Amino acid sequence: MKTTNLKHLLITALVFVFFWAADFEIFCQGTGGSFKPAPVPTYGNWKSYSKKNGLPADKAYCVRIDGNRVWVGTSAGLALFENGTWKTYTVDDGLAHNHVISIDVSELSGDLWIGTMGGVSQLSAGKFVTYTQFNSGLANDVIYSIVCDGKDIWAATGGGASHYDTYTREWEIYTERNAPMHEPWTYGVCASEEKVYIAAWGGGVIEQDKKTKRFRDHVDPDGEMEIDLFPDDGVVHDITTAVSYADDILWVATYFGLSRYDGTRWKGFFDHDSGLASNFINNLRAIGPVVFLCTDKGLSSFNGESWVTYKKDENGTSGKVIYRKGDDITENTAPTAIAHNFVIGVDVKGDDIWVATSKGVSHGTKIK
Amino acid sequence: MKTRLFILSAFSLVLILFPETYGQDQKQNYGRTPDEMVPFGRFQKAYVNFFDTPQEFTGAGREKPAPTNLKTIKIGVLGPFEGSPLVPQGRQMLQGTMLALEEANKKGGYHGIPFEILVHNDVGLWGAAANEVVKMNDAGAWAFLGTIDDINSHVALRVALKLEIPMINTSDPDPTFTETRIPWMIRCMSDDRQSCYALVNYVYEQKGYKRVAVIRANNRYGRVGTAEFKDGAERIGHPTILEVRFDDGETNFKTQLERIKTLSPDAVLIWGNATESALILNQMREMGMNQPAFASDRVVSPEFLRIAGKNAEGIITTCQYNPDADIPELKAFQQNYRKRFNQEPDVFAAHAYDGMNITIEAIKKAGLNRALIRDVLTDMKTFQGYQGITGKIIFDASWNDIGDIWQAEVKNGKFVFFPTAFK
Repeated sequence: MKTTNLKHLLITALVFVFFWAADFEIFCQGTGGSFKPAPVPTYGNWKSYSKKNGLPADKAYCVRIDGNRVWVGTSAGLALFENGTWKTYTVDDGLAHNHVISIDVSELSGDLWIGTMGGVSQLSAGKFVTYTQFNSGLANDVIYSIVCDGKDIWAATGGGASHYDTYTREWEIYTERNAPMHEPWTYGVCASEEKVYIAAWGGGVIEQDKKTKRFRDHVDPDGEMEIDLFPDDGVVHDITTAVSYADDILWVATYFGLSRYDGTRWKGFFDHDSGLASNFINNLRAIGPVVFLCTDKGLSSFNGESWVTYKKDENGTSGKVIYRKGDDITENTAPTAIAHNFVIGVDVKGDDIWVATSKGVSHGTKIK
Repeated sequence: MKTRLFILSAFSLVLILFPETYGQDQKQNYGRTPDEMVPFGRFQKAYVNFFDTPQEFTGAGREKPAPTNLKTIKIGVLGPFEGSPLVPQGRQMLQGTMLALEEANKKGGYHGIPFEILVHNDVGLWGAAANEVVKMNDAGAWAFLGTIDDINSHVALRVALKLEIPMINTSDPDPTFTETRIPWMIRCMSDDRQSCYALVNYVYEQKGYKRVAVIRANNRYGRVGTAEFKDGAERIGHPTILEVRFDDGETNFKTQLERIKTLSPDAVLIWGNATESALILNQMREMGMNQPAFASDRVVSPEFLRIAGKNAEGIITTCQYNPDADIPELKAFQQNYRKRFNQEPDVFAAHAYDGMNITIEAIKKAGLNRALIRDVLTDMKTFQGYQGITGKIIFDASWNDIGDIWQAEVKNGKFVFFPTAFK
């Protein structure tokens, strides 16, 4: 009798330990793959640039840090910030179109790949080469997102996603005819070591395995446009606007909230249940464990556990920094702020952050 | 006791005489969805409802001064004007906008400056609509109207957000068009969600049919257009028994119809363009399929009546326009349209006329600033309840028109319009 009891006790203890360990594992994965994620840095000392001090236009769509240089896509050309001064490139210099809405730098060649509203421009050795629907395999001339992935260039357009192999100079186009998209509209693209992820408007996220070339789609399981039934069952909405992959996490932006995918589980975040500044996310960029979210109500950053949001005071130049972890919220005032709360693009390198907004571009540095 | 009774009676009288005093607090489901058709409504409350409130635009731009020395005030019109089966509809849409614009110019335009239409064809290489909106922007358009095909509307809409140019849709019934949360568009025409709810109500509730088969165009118009019908039917306990598809341009539908015939449905829903729908109806009758037929609004056209002939009798559709409505401005519009274009205006012309009038009025109210024009178009006040020639326009929080929709039945070779029971 005593032996049986002891057996039961041991089995119960083993089962308890097993489930406790499993829960612990789930918890770890759910917060970014490590028990304590790296802290979200705080940026400050903002300095903004607009048409008044060197930018060709107030409206900045995108920004990319390239060593000591910073490239900014505006509604009136491509701006380069170098050694404290601005230089502008326009169609007169060979740029495909003056509305520059996406930029990436090739780590292989150092070339700049520029997505405009009139095709792609490649800035190589000081010269622009232009690709359009008429002279290349671009699916459409409005390039919402462009990504350099080694020798491969990916461009997301409203007519499909285009892939360009810079070694073979061959183009491929992916639409609803050869990929599991509902429609050919693509608005964001990013790459990991093994996969390419495409934000497909109305089709959630499409991923392509680089080796097998096979596709897989991730859609909102409830299948309804007007609701999200469960926040953690998949991407929060099928209308996706941007994707970014880093630290084994895929982040997905929508105009309805944020989604995070660790390869196994999805988790949704909304402005009412997290530190996200707004559900309307124009763009995002993941750098290491932190994702930076360009919303229409400020810039949010998040590491899976803690949030830091930057906002500009509506009537002034000062700003505020809002920290949130769980239900704990702290709001600090800051002497400087981002140029505008309608944030469209962001890039971070080392201690520097650049933010493209509706009313100029801002440079901040890490302060904590 | 008498005092209490008096107070109670007075209170009841107030409620009866002024129902809006309590009616305003009654929350309407998104898209006027009937309670029994709310997605998952019987089982699970949604974690988030996305369209309870309109999406605001928080970007810069309202401070931009109006330009001077303009010779014309440009408004774009994007549509299928060449190289598409939708050209006849596109032409009607364009003509509707032209008539409104010409009338505005006769009244002095914008402070004496005439309005001008920039015509852009949405048919072309992949995503042509996107490139055309960029061209409109480069040409200085203050807003644009368009388009009919839902693929092109979506593509254009995304550029509208990026370029921050107001988009007024008058002809695309795709429910998902306004379910994008882009705060730069409005649609002043009822969508297929409203059509489908009206049809579900009529087919199942009023007529009492239980087993309905669907034959639809094998494209986005057919897929998205019938989605709410199928969902609605299923949610009230009558899932559609079969769905078969056809391609645009197809002329022989016997394979699909044989499958439907085998199941002996109570009724058949046809969803496609006028020509294919008419051919399907003809072949149904030839095959001895005498089931009642229902169809999408695209069959409300002379082309359908011509091809279907006697077989058209009794077919019932929805329609976002009642040409026989007792609206004095509608009669004047019809008269002027016939005089100007020597043609009877259709649903595309009528809504385009309303859409252009709204656009012109918004520009006049806001001035030459796109963000301010957007504000006026989307403020849910200025144009809420706008009395157009197509009826009263009621915007929901996604800026979709959820105003009244009609049904039409072919009687003696003509479409006879009547209000839907779905309210």
